[in-house]
Amino acid sequence: MKINVNGKPQELKSGSLSDTLAELGYGDAKIATAVNAEFIPAALRDTYALTEGDELEILAPMQGG
Amino acid sequence: MIDVSIIGAGVAGLCIATEIAERGGTVRLYDRKPSIGAHACSWWAGGMLAPFCEGMNAEEPVVRLGQQAADWWDKTAGGVNRNGSLVLALGRDRSELSQFARRTTGMDVVDGKQIAVLEPDLGNHFNTGLFCASEAHLDPRNALATLLIKLQAKGVTVKTTPPTMGPKMIDCRGLSARDALTDLRGVKGEMLVLKCPDVILSRPIRLLHPRIPIYIVPRGDGVFMLGATMIEATERGRITARSMLELLTAAYALHPAFGEAEVLEIGVDARPAFPDNLPRIRKRGNVIYANGLYRHGFLLAPALARMTADYLFDGKRSEMMDED
Amino acid sequence: MKQFYGVTLKTPLMLGTAQYPSPAILADAFKTSCASVATVSLRRESGRDKSGQGFWSIIRNLDVHILPNTAGCYTVKEAVTTAHMAREIFDTKWIKLEVIGHTDTLQPNVFGLVEAAKILTQDGFEVFPYTTEDLVVADKLLDAGCQVLMPWGAPIGSGQGLNNLQGLRSLRAHFPDIPLVVDAGIGLPSHAAHAMELGYDAVLLNTAVAKAGNPVEMAHAMALAVEAGQAAAIADPMEPRDMAAPSTPVIGKAFLT
Repeated sequence: MKINVNGKPQELKSGSLSDTLAELGYGDAKIATAVNAEFIPAALRDTYALTEGDELEILAPMQGG
Repeated sequence: MIDVSIIGAGVAGLCIATEIAERGGTVRLYDRKPSIGAHACSWWAGGMLAPFCEGMNAEEPVVRLGQQAADWWDKTAGGVNRNGSLVLALGRDRSELSQFARRTTGMDVVDGKQIAVLEPDLGNHFNTGLFCASEAHLDPRNALATLLIKLQAKGVTVKTTPPTMGPKMIDCRGLSARDALTDLRGVKGEMLVLKCPDVILSRPIRLLHPRIPIYIVPRGDGVFMLGATMIEATERGRITARSMLELLTAAYALHPAFGEAEVLEIGVDARPAFPDNLPRIRKRGNVIYANGLYRHGFLLAPALARMTADYLFDGKRSEMMDED
Repeated sequence: MKQFYGVTLKTPLMLGTAQYPSPAILADAFKTSCASVATVSLRRESGRDKSGQGFWSIIRNLDVHILPNTAGCYTVKEAVTTAHMAREIFDTKWIKLEVIGHTDTLQPNVFGLVEAAKILTQDGFEVFPYTTEDLVVADKLLDAGCQVLMPWGAPIGSGQGLNNLQGLRSLRAHFPDIPLVVDAGIGLPSHAAHAMELGYDAVLLNTAVAKAGNPVEMAHAMALAVEAGQAAAIADPMEPRDMAAPSTPVIGKAFLT
């Protein structure tokens, strides 16, 4: 299954958003996710199924003013 | 008798190997690849030996220790150009020149005529700038290759098999040593190598810029290194369009002929840095970690090498050692 | 001191976390400034790149309230989605809402701001809107459910200080009970002190400290400035006058001519 992760196309096994994050190596990192510009809360990651062509955004803390 | 295995043949590893070999020690070098190249952060360095300019944003030890660099490189690798460096500002950033002068030492204010004498090709483009006469630059890839050739002449080769435990190890893996040095972080840098025979420059030019400290370093034969972004990130993927746009815009504004330049290379890597952006030497058991050169690889590796060797040969602790 | 959504801040200084020369200087500047709030942001991170995690561990150790922002958002939808992601990551209902309307001045798009503020308030957020000093917009933001207002002093990162004193004064006069924060444009401690003297409840700044030659020393100066300005406001300053009024008592003056 091909999806775009933070704008870059990646070939990933299909499965839930949780599986995908594990596959991408996020582990227990402090991150938040959005799919196709919609926020997906952490609680829904186990049941949220990604599909071909989805735009997955994974954000982490950064410096800000 | 000093006998060490050095892991990582980037600028840190090669300088430390050179210093130890010069003092009569035995060195084994290990790296992922048998020769220096694009896998090392220092492959993408600017090669500026500019301690005073760096003082704009760096801590005091960078300015002080960096002043040893030009002589060390001259002695070990040669090829040091001591033409100084020139600091300029474009358009609406011009007010930042006086701030730069205030926050650094060793700068002389130069007017348009003096700039035209220093760099005839920039002739009429600029009417004020700063000149730091005592600074230098080198070609980083040549310098690393020369160190390696000289080490090879002493029987040192780069092995790609991991070292077996035995003699003391010096870990110079840069960012890869994050598995042991948990406070090490990556600061992403993006740079370009341009070929532009229409422009001749004799020294690195720094362009003051509110976000990116842009510099152009002449490499000879019409080749220039244009760098470098500073992004708090470890990833070393590809350059972003925004970064390339800002770098090229700056070069074009410096001299319109850069618009015709050929883009030879695009470099992206992450510099290894500790929280205060200063290098560290840490001894843990049988391993000495020498790391955290940040954007000061060629500027501070000589001091890092000396201090590491001082510790090995004489047990002398230095300011870079922050652990027992 | 007024409360910010039920929280009493131990000092009236909110400090940004961007643009410092190094993480070590960022941490030192925060300690020296005694800032009570740190603004933070969000960005893309790849699985192997742990830089966001490293930054977070520094911030977590600062003992400050976290105020995530929606910096760089130009649309209501972007700002709202970013706010939701920030709430999850930072585990706070606070959001510094920025909807930018103009690239050169980074002036807020106040129409989008009001709309986003309404949506976020209904979603349970506690919104700190980055706005202009416009009274009518301020009113609409309060109608939208905001209980804090953050008018700009000058464009972000410009260091110009308080460009429209009269506007900031009238905002204070019209909303005596609303916590007001001057956000953006502060370049000097005197600007920060001035904002506090006007009766503002806090200032939010970043570049003035991070881009100073010595950020830690400037953080100290800002701490002194907001404390001085706040004390001055509490002390109820004298009214300026057109003419001199002798400060030395005139009674009992000897005639020596």
